[in-house]
Formats: sequence, structure tokens, C-alpha cells
Amino acid sequence: MVIQTLLLCGLIIFSGLAIIFKDLLKAALSLAVASLCLGIIFFRLGAPYAGVFEISVVAGLITVLFILTIALTKKEREIKEANLTRIAFPLFFILFLIIDGLVMKSLLQKVPALPSEPEAGIFGEVLWKQRTFDLVAQIGVILAGVLAVLALFRKKEDEKDE
Amino acid sequence: MSNLWFFYLFFSAVLIFIGIYCLLTMHNLIRLFIAVEIISKGVSLALVATGAVKKSVLLAQSLAITYIVVEVSLVATALAIIINIYKKNKSLDVRLLSKLKG
Amino acid sequence: MVFLFIVIPLLVAAFLPLIGKFSKKLIPDVLTNAALAFLLFNSILLVKPVFNQGSVVQNVNWFGEKINLQIALDGFNLFMLFTISLVSLGISLFSIDYLEHYGYKANFYALLLVMIAGMNGLVLVPDLFSIYLFMEVAAVASYALVAFGLGSDELEASFKYLMLSVVASAFVLLSITIIFGLTGSLNFQAVAQALQDLNARYVVGVCVAFFIMGFGLKAALVPFHAWLPDAHPSAPAPISAMLSGLLIKVSGIYALFRIVYSVIGMTPVLSQVLMAMGTISLVVAAFLALGQKDIKRMLAYSSISQVGYIVLGLALGTPLGIAGGLFHLFNHAVAKGLLFLNSGSIQHITGTRNLDELGGLGKLVPITAGTNLVGALSITGVPPLAGFWSKLIIIIALIQAKQFGYALVAILASILTLWYYLLIQRKAFFGKTNPKWLHLKEAPFWMSAANVILALICILVGIFFTPVFKTWISPAAEALAQGIQHVLMWGI
Repeated sequence: MVIQTLLLCGLIIFSGLAIIFKDLLKAALSLAVASLCLGIIFFRLGAPYAGVFEISVVAGLITVLFILTIALTKKEREIKEANLTRIAFPLFFILFLIIDGLVMKSLLQKVPALPSEPEAGIFGEVLWKQRTFDLVAQIGVILAGVLAVLALFRKKEDEKDE
Repeated sequence: MSNLWFFYLFFSAVLIFIGIYCLLTMHNLIRLFIAVEIISKGVSLALVATGAVKKSVLLAQSLAITYIVVEVSLVATALAIIINIYKKNKSLDVRLLSKLKG
Repeated sequence: MVFLFIVIPLLVAAFLPLIGKFSKKLIPDVLTNAALAFLLFNSILLVKPVFNQGSVVQNVNWFGEKINLQIALDGFNLFMLFTISLVSLGISLFSIDYLEHYGYKANFYALLLVMIAGMNGLVLVPDLFSIYLFMEVAAVASYALVAFGLGSDELEASFKYLMLSVVASAFVLLSITIIFGLTGSLNFQAVAQALQDLNARYVVGVCVAFFIMGFGLKAALVPFHAWLPDAHPSAPAPISAMLSGLLIKVSGIYALFRIVYSVIGMTPVLSQVLMAMGTISLVVAAFLALGQKDIKRMLAYSSISQVGYIVLGLALGTPLGIAGGLFHLFNHAVAKGLLFLNSGSIQHITGTRNLDELGGLGKLVPITAGTNLVGALSITGVPPLAGFWSKLIIIIALIQAKQFGYALVAILASILTLWYYLLIQRKAFFGKTNPKWLHLKEAPFWMSAANVILALICILVGIFFTPVFKTWISPAAEALAQGIQHVLMWGI
């Protein structure tokens, strides 16, 4: 339990750092470390497949995509953010933590829920047999993403000004 | 409902708050998208935690994996748009994207 | 087979980029339009089984082994399928000629087909998480399609649309997670049963609030409408028609009302809240539409306003109100699709969308002007076109339910709608002909053909509205009005 809490706090801290860092590259790497923490949290919750996916895809693939974009937009990465928002962030953060803690504490024992039956089967069966429609939709999403990237990076025959 | 659920939901809410705060106040396009990624981390944490508490981890895992696949597609499309915006405007400032008004 | 509605567009979309390398124009056109025509035909064929049986639940078998692909088809689903097939066929016919502006036709058709597959999937599936997933499929395709022209306006609009839409999707998923935590299942039937047994009104209220925030942004209800006036004008004309005519209705209104009616159950408080939101949309957008110079921007505000009308009718809860709301959904999809396609024709012919520069086009391009007039009159509710009947039914339902204030506001807003539509007609088509346009010719064949087909549907549905009402709309309204009982009877 202690490790779990430490990991969760690590997740929050690294996500906060991803906003506060001025350099975009450091922000992307901090996001990757946060994904790593989340992956380990998933492992410890008893969801190893989700943990593996999270680490390999989000901490790996998406971070690579981010770094690729940052490299392609090199010249003007340094946009001056207002200092006011940077200072105000910790204040709002702590305020939200207090409100959140109070709300969650007041909801304890007040939310009814159905008792859960123990689950049967292995993961492969659940994914392929129970959620088969989701797989069709996943194919659709991947297709949409691929076609979108192809469409947005096409070579125009003549440069027309809009 | 078990106390553990609220424990995880607390952290999930904090993540979503960080993401929305960043979306509202930051000016760099890529940083805005990092905020979107943080929001989706919060949501997938909530998803798997709910599964763990309800003892149906396998179902929640499938949902989380599907959600991550959708995320990848979204990131690819959004970054393609951002790169094209950079090619047009030569800058990543979101304040320059305000030509359409009214 | 009902499953074909999702599989056929996806298959064709997967092969189109490959085919596009060999034949740039002919085969993509033929293939796409044939696929969509087949879907339309199929949806008409399905009327009989649903009418006789009430609901059709199908389990798909894959080579004898029973996989868990369940599709539940009732009156509401079938009605949405029919609307989607009809309007998307018109739009793809229009795109045959319009895409000369952009090139890269095979890719465009492929993205369009993926969006249609996503919408069909959203409509057909009886499972909460799958609704979210197919909504994302359609949304990712639409982000790319709005930015298709790669001009700076389009990229800016697409980026804003993307950012807002992703936050909305996150809220929807959060709400689904909370419901999953409460009930332990995601199937409509199981969730409806479980929510009846539990008594968690407060938490379910929070979930519904999240759903309204998420789906309300997809449907562009005020105050979540900020993305629409930028996204719809900048997109290419067929995509504007698709977004405005279908996507905001399917992923916004259909999803919201399916979940509220069939899973959670409509309560009087919720009904009042939704009706208030609908009325605010109706009035605010009508006022904002008055000062616009760009045709498409004005049409975009009009979309927000009419969606408010539809929500007002659907949220009323009485069978007549629901029927009126659904009929108006169909009419608006056809008429707004027609109007956006028409604005694409105008842009193709004259090269501008600014109302101040157009003038007196009526005599030069009679087909475009005539179809524009039909579409505008249908939306404003002039008899005997279709829009008149749907608005009349909504107002009668409001009066019957003793909501006189809302009925008055609805009538006044209709008059406002009439005003700004006639303003376009006068400025663009009648009046003195601007000497710049004297040499214009009519729009190319397929663009005019698509316009004429949609206009004919407006007129015919208006004249023969009783059989249309009995076949499509009454079963759909009954399916919704029965509420949770209807879903519990599915017997999945």
C-alpha cells in the first residue's frame, strides 16, 4: 500500500512537472516517466496487460511522436508563458487538493453499489469473446488515424494560397 | 463502496484538474497537447482502478487497452495538424490562431 | 445482415487508398457511391422485420462459433440508420464533382466511409463503452476531414475542434467509468436493471451532468457550442454538410437521449433542464446568426439553433413531443445537408461566400437558386414542405403538455429563423445582378443532381408526411417513450 501511494504521488508530481518545465523536451520526458509510474501502478493493481500496454505504447510510442514533433518545429519552441500562471499553479493545486479530499471523504460509505461476482476466464477470452465489437472499432480507429496522417501530409501539386 | 475506490478516484481527479488547468492557461500548442495526454492518464487510471475494486480486472484491462489504442490514433492526427500549423504560421503560439471570429 | 452496415464501409475504406493509386477518379467514385446506395437499400429492407417484431436482436456467428457481437435494432436505431444512409448518399454524390478543388479523392472517400462506419456503429450497438468507441472513430475521421484542405483557416478550426472534443470524450468516459463502478456491467439491459435496483440518485445525477457536458459539446448545445461556428464554415462543403447534418445529431443527440431514455430513465427534473438548454440554444444562436456575412457561418449558427429545437422536442417526454423532435431531426438533416451542399455550389460557381458580394444569381443559376429556396423554406417551416409539419408537431406537443412559455418562445424563434433565411435569399439570389457574375454557368452535373435529389425529398416528405410518419417515426417515438421497459424487454 505504501509503495502504491508513493507511485501515485510520483505520477502526480511528474505530470505537474510536465507543465512547469520551460523546455518542451524535458516536459515530454517527464510525461514519459509519469507513464512509467502509471504502468507500474497497473501491474500492482492486478492488470499486467494494461501495464505492459501503457509502458510500451504511451511511454514509448507517444513519447517518440512528441519528440519527433518537437524536433520538426525547432525554431520557435520557446514561447513566453505568463509568469503569473506559473506562480498561481501551486496555489490552485493545493486548493483543489483540499476540495477533492473533502468531497471524497464525504462520499465514503454513501455510494451504494452492487456486489460483484468473481470473474471467470482468462484475459484472452474476455478480450476476444466478450468485447469483440471493440476490436472492430479499434480497426476503424487505426484506419482513421492512418488515413488522417496520409491526408494531412500529402504533397500538393501547386502551392495555392488560401 | 469500498474506500479504495475513492482513494484512486482522488488521484484521478487531481490529474484531470492538472490537465484542464494547463489547457486553460498555456499558450504553446504542444504543451496544450501534453495537457490532453495528462487528462487521458487520469481517465485510464480511473478505469483500471474501478475494475480492480469491482474484481473484474480483466474487463477493465480490455477497456483500458482499447482506450490506449484510440489515444495513439488521436495523438497522431493532432500532431499532424500541429506540424501543418507550424508550417503555415512559423510559430506554435495559440494566440495567433484567432483569425476566425464573430 | 445488420452487421454489414459497419463492415462494408470499413472494408471499402481500407482498400480505397490502394485503388486510388491506379485509378484516380473513376473507381473510387463508383465504389463509394455503390456501397452507400447498397446501405440505403438495406436500411429500407429492414423496415418490415422491425415493424412486425418490435425489436430485432442479432447474434453474429463466425464460422459456426458463437462470438459475442450483439446488435439490437429497434425503431429508433432504424430511423437513424435510414437518415444516415440517405444524407450520406447525397453528400457522396455531390463530392464526385466538388473534389476537383482538393484532389486526393480516394483518401477523402476513405475517410468519409470510416466516419459513416463509425456513425453506423454508434447507432447499432447496445453497450455503453462501444458507443464511446465508435464516437471516437467518427470523431478522429472528422478532425482529419475538417483540416483536409490544409489552408490556415481550416487548420485553426480543426485544432480548436479537436481540443474541445477530446475533453468532451474524456468526460463521457469518466461518466461511463462511474456507472461501471456502480453496476459492474456495461450492457444497456444489465445497467438499466441494476440502476433500478440500486437507489443512487445523487451519483447518477452527477453522471448525467457529465454526460450532458460531454455529449452536449458534441451536439453543440449552448454553452458548449464554441467550436461549431469555426469548424463548419472552414471545412469543405460536403464535410460541412456531413458534420452539420449527421455527426452532431448522431454522436450528440442520439447518444445522449438513448442513454437518458433507455438506460437511466427520464425524470421531470432532467426534462426541465434539457428543455431549458434547448430553448437557450434556440434563441441565442438565432440572434447570433443575424449579423453574419458569410453564408456558411450563418448556416452553422442556424444548425445550433435547430439542434436546440430538436432537444426541446425530445426532452419533453410525451410521445408526441418525441415524435416531433425525431421528425425535425430527419428534416433538418436533409435540409441542412442540402443548404451546405448548395453553398458549396455557390462557392464553386462564384468563388466567394460573402453575402455582400453576391447578388441576383437567381436568373443565372436557376437550379442552385431553386434548391436553396426549397431548403431554406423547409427549415423555417413553411407549408407544405416537411419542416412545417415537424415544427407544428413540436409546438402542439408543447401546448398539450401545458408548457405555454416554451411554445411561445418556439414560435417567436421560428419567425426569427424565417427572417434571416429570407435575408440570404434576397441578397444572394434575387435583386439586381452584380455585373461581375453575368458570365456564370450552372454548377456541374453531380453537384446539381445531389441538390435536386435532397430538395425533392424535402418536398415529397412534406406532401406525403403521413405514411412517412407512420412507418419511421411512430415506432421510433414509441421505442423511446417506453423508457427503460423497452430495453429490459430486449432479452439479450
